[in-house]
Amino acid sequence: MLPIFLASILLFKDQDITGAVKLAVPSVQYRMNVASATSAPWVNANGWLIQRSPGKKVFYDLPKGGAELALAEAHAYNADAIVKIAPEDADAFAKMNAFLQQLGSAGPQVGNIAVTDDGSTQAGEGLNLLHRKNLIYRMVNGPDPKADLNIKVDKSINNPLDFAADVREKLTDDKRLIRVYGSAVVLANLTSDGGGRMRLHLINYGKRPVDGLRIRLRGSYVVKGVSIYESAESKVADFTNRDGGTEFSLPRAGLYSVIDLETK
Amino acid sequence: MQRRAFLQWSAVAPAAFATVTTDIPKYRTVSKYQPHPYKGFPASVVSVHSAKSIDEATEKVDPQTVRQMIERGMTALTGESTPAAAWKRFFAPSDVVGIKVNCSGAPRIMSHPVVVADIVRNLLAVGVKPEQIYIYERFPDQLESVKYGKYIDQKVNIHAVEMSRGSILNYDPETFVEVNFFGEEDTRSNLVRLVSEKFTKIINVPNMKDHGAAGVTGCLKNIAYGNFSNVARSHAHEKTNTKTFIGTLASMEPLKSKTVLNIMDGLKGIWHGGPFQLKNEFGFFPKKMMFGTDMVAMDRLLIDVIENKRKAEHARSVWDRSRDQLITSRSSDPNKNQFIREPGHIEYAAGLGLGEYDINKIRLQEFEI
Repeated sequence: MLPIFLASILLFKDQDITGAVKLAVPSVQYRMNVASATSAPWVNANGWLIQRSPGKKVFYDLPKGGAELALAEAHAYNADAIVKIAPEDADAFAKMNAFLQQLGSAGPQVGNIAVTDDGSTQAGEGLNLLHRKNLIYRMVNGPDPKADLNIKVDKSINNPLDFAADVREKLTDDKRLIRVYGSAVVLANLTSDGGGRMRLHLINYGKRPVDGLRIRLRGSYVVKGVSIYESAESKVADFTNRDGGTEFSLPRAGLYSVIDLETK
Repeated sequence: MQRRAFLQWSAVAPAAFATVTTDIPKYRTVSKYQPHPYKGFPASVVSVHSAKSIDEATEKVDPQTVRQMIERGMTALTGESTPAAAWKRFFAPSDVVGIKVNCSGAPRIMSHPVVVADIVRNLLAVGVKPEQIYIYERFPDQLESVKYGKYIDQKVNIHAVEMSRGSILNYDPETFVEVNFFGEEDTRSNLVRLVSEKFTKIINVPNMKDHGAAGVTGCLKNIAYGNFSNVARSHAHEKTNTKTFIGTLASMEPLKSKTVLNIMDGLKGIWHGGPFQLKNEFGFFPKKMMFGTDMVAMDRLLIDVIENKRKAEHARSVWDRSRDQLITSRSSDPNKNQFIREPGHIEYAAGLGLGEYDINKIRLQEFEI
């Protein structure tokens, strides 16, 4: 067994994966044959399942070309992951792993929606949609009075899309921790060092970089660092603090972008 | 243009429509730009027709006739005795001018390059340097299909905004309309950055077209949907939000104040299936151009052009809101449509102060070349 990064992401070497939660291959399905403004691409992402599985190992069985995205996802959600890659992806794995080592630990999950989960399949689909809609939540065992919204996910969820829309409406867009403009395939996560520093993770599930991503964060921050995989870019553009929020652009968002922020 | 920082956070709803609040989405407009006091020629429209402007069989446009039409239109609009004086009413050598063409139906229907070339010629005559002129459109594939470069000085800029479809890189992140129509995640439509940061003036060059969602597409829709990102979401469903969205976008500063002149290219038009030309027979030849500073007045007249042609072709009225016409995809049947058309967007825009809708108050001058 080869320790790769802070012992949380391990390259699969025939070790026992019994009990590990098997994850989907991170990817995006473009629905090119559906010509309408609502035909948003479908993102296969696992952040919700990683969050739902604290203390459990997760397992990625990846096809060729899948290593970098999976590693980014595992890192952004603090996964205890075992990653099986195609042999051709060894270099890509090493490259992303080096990038993650530079970043250091993601830190504890942040979220202003407190979620209790009955563990059902339907609840899982609800979590998946919250995740896909960049509604940033954290799992709790019971109601949290400090959260902006407390919700239960359970088997009563018939339509996950409607469920996520309902959560969004109840929270209101003004209270959302993160808004992503300019892409339907970039999912965001927010972690913290427990003090005044926050870390924004932007994972681009699409096959191409996104030119001109705009981010809005609730709260006033200053940017302390920018790290973009396979990019020397170290600054954000068009930064502004206004109306209780922080906004900036990334001229080009690659596969994984990490923005370190400090409370203003 | 004054740039004193201020924000418009209000929901845009004109007094005339204040009681119909259920039909008006909650728009939040954010801009630091203030309106310019320039008034132009309210409620005035000049229409110039020439039977020899375009050959119906070959669709070849006659440059000399177009030149005469533009000369007549501009002098009549301004009351000036020469074309040079007329153009100087709008433009100075220091201006950076954006020419907002319409290429959404290109290469079959677009702001014709002969028309655009003559506009460029007039700007150059005023003293505007070619490097300060930008022919622009949102999508590169559509723009490039017209090949404007063959018709104009090579130093004139030809600029496509979205070099990759959906990218907001070339839009102004601080000038936008925010609205949630149907639960979409990206709720912002941002203004083209060149408009807010570079251009001092804009010439709007739409066509005369039917539009499946908006009813017709002329000045207002070309300037609105052609200058903002993420606008197709307004017609994601059969009941669209085009009625209120078009005027809301067109009234945003600095776009509204910088759009000083509209030259509507109606040499060729589309009476069904717009903004595209789905079939040859949906094209027609009004052989006219309209000139004005009042987008609402020009579009009000456009409704009649399209409506009369549709009537002659025994097609449904653009005002028909019956559901039996609705189908789920584009159709070459002129009595079927994906959407309930919203030609009422023009009257709505009038309520936002964008111009005169009352046909009895529009001063139309008509000329024949």
